[in-house]
Amino acid sequence: MSASQLETVRNTSSHSPPRRLTDGQFALLLLLPGGALLLGVVLYPLVAALVAAFFEQSLVVPGRTFVGLQNIVDVLTGDFPRLLGQTLVFTVGTTIFPFVIGFALALALNTRIRGAKVLRGLMLIPWLVPGVVVSFLWMWIFNANYGVLNALLETLGLVDGAVPWLAQPGTAMTAVIVAKTWQSFPWMMVMLLAGLQTVPRELHEAAEMDGAGTVRRFFSITLPQVKGIVGLVLLLELIWNFQHFDIIYVLTGGGPAGSTQTFATAVYETAFHGFDLGHAGALGLLWMVLLMGLVVVYIRFSEKGEAK
Amino acid sequence: MSALTPTRTPAPGTPSDSDAADAAAPRRRAVRRSPLRSERRGVRIAAWSTVVVFGGFALAPVYWLLATALTPRDQVFAYPPRLFPATPTLNAFAALASNEQLFVYLRNSLLVSVLTAVLSVLVSAYMGYSFSKFRYRGRRSLMYFVLASQMFPQALLLVTLYSLFSAYGLLNTYTALVLSFTTFTLPLCVWMLKGFFDTIPDELIEAARVDGASRLRIIHSIVLPLSAPGLIAAGLFAFVRGWNDFIFALTLAGPEKQTLPPGLVNTFVGEASTAWPELMAASLVVSLPVAIAFIALQKYLVGGLTAGAVKG
Repeated sequence: MSASQLETVRNTSSHSPPRRLTDGQFALLLLLPGGALLLGVVLYPLVAALVAAFFEQSLVVPGRTFVGLQNIVDVLTGDFPRLLGQTLVFTVGTTIFPFVIGFALALALNTRIRGAKVLRGLMLIPWLVPGVVVSFLWMWIFNANYGVLNALLETLGLVDGAVPWLAQPGTAMTAVIVAKTWQSFPWMMVMLLAGLQTVPRELHEAAEMDGAGTVRRFFSITLPQVKGIVGLVLLLELIWNFQHFDIIYVLTGGGPAGSTQTFATAVYETAFHGFDLGHAGALGLLWMVLLMGLVVVYIRFSEKGEAK
Repeated sequence: MSALTPTRTPAPGTPSDSDAADAAAPRRRAVRRSPLRSERRGVRIAAWSTVVVFGGFALAPVYWLLATALTPRDQVFAYPPRLFPATPTLNAFAALASNEQLFVYLRNSLLVSVLTAVLSVLVSAYMGYSFSKFRYRGRRSLMYFVLASQMFPQALLLVTLYSLFSAYGLLNTYTALVLSFTTFTLPLCVWMLKGFFDTIPDELIEAARVDGASRLRIIHSIVLPLSAPGLIAAGLFAFVRGWNDFIFALTLAGPEKQTLPPGLVNTFVGEASTAWPELMAASLVVSLPVAIAFIALQKYLVGGLTAGAVKG
């Protein structure tokens, strides 16, 4: 809309109330309530939490002492390498597995097998339930003594006796990844299916007439066409999983022996069980740096998408 | 017609929901003679195998949730567990109904999620409108800051939010929960609503201005009513996200003000012998509003998902 045009209209219209604000000022005014809220509950808290990295500061005792980089050095020489490794295992695992399952299902449903719509609806159920419910359910399935998984595996002769999936360091991370995968794959499926449905059928039919087989068509037609949405879902999943908290916290609380601790649970523990804001902030600072790398890639990606 | 065309599923009467497929009808004859027929059968088998295997992974746990909720408490610790409850019962649900604390959590959940949704939609509508219909310096940077702000780690925000609310005496209040929930609902609603406002033609707004309507009046009597479905969708997504929150309500509120997710953890988890049928029944109850909201939201699902409506 053209401002000069409106200016003319405004001056000639007798009904027009006097306007003192320019469009730009009005637009800024509209931003105020939301902006103030974001400033108060997002930006300030984030900055303050990160600034705490340079202080010795407690959650419960007022006052703080500047300690420079001491907290960061502590963290880097302490838990950081292990947490980074575990966070990466969790993040990559809970991105790759849901992606593979989601993509396979999207491709299957996209062949328009009978009842595809009903199946799609049913497969969404895991993702409709709140995160804590996912945790409760898998806690019960993985239960060492009465869990249905041990019962099934024992019937098949695969395990011998009660395997404490969530209570031994060797299996806990895998179990947590399975639970998170179960929750995440439907989202991947819906997004990828939506992407697949935008691929023009004519392209496939033409290629088929030229003698291109299914595999060939998948790599030369389908994949290039859904490349954008694949990138988008992978990036978003990586960002979310990199900071996922709920399922890990409820299923294992980061245990046993810290084997499922990630940045999210470690920052929480340090701040709210150890009351140590300095080290929580230091960990958070390193965490944010890594996370922001992903977020920047995501924003570049969305901008590219919007420009198209 | 579909019975004659092996290009698609051979089921007679299968509804065809794609215009593209119908438009391609004349080409079908050529396709039918193609030598790839056996391969197509292979594809169908592969598709069904995928659905059976991963569908099993998706739905077996759901079945187990239902079955456990219907199992009498004394049978749930039988080993090996029975795949079908021998004497299904609704006792677990009855036990829930007699637990008064759960109703406190339920009331808190409803109240906080509704308030969060209303506040988020209200504030986001103005912000989204500003992003959608005005052009100014820093607009894009601000928009992407809003988008990025929902990706800041909650555990980290919580560290300061806790101290902040504590300093203002807001710990264990609905205010603290609603304000902390807006950290993730506001960015989502702003982006969703911006998308809705983008579809309102500028000509309409210009025409109203020519008629002498003030800019605020245009928002309130033209833009918002036209975007009613969008406002409702954004509100429902915000409701669901608030309903599902765990970490903020766990930390910022005690039992009197806590919502269902942390409430259920505190009630059931960590006891010597967890009341599994009751926990599974409670899980069903807490999932119900989300399921209903999503059925209502089907149309907006994919758009809302990219805006970060539901974390995968």
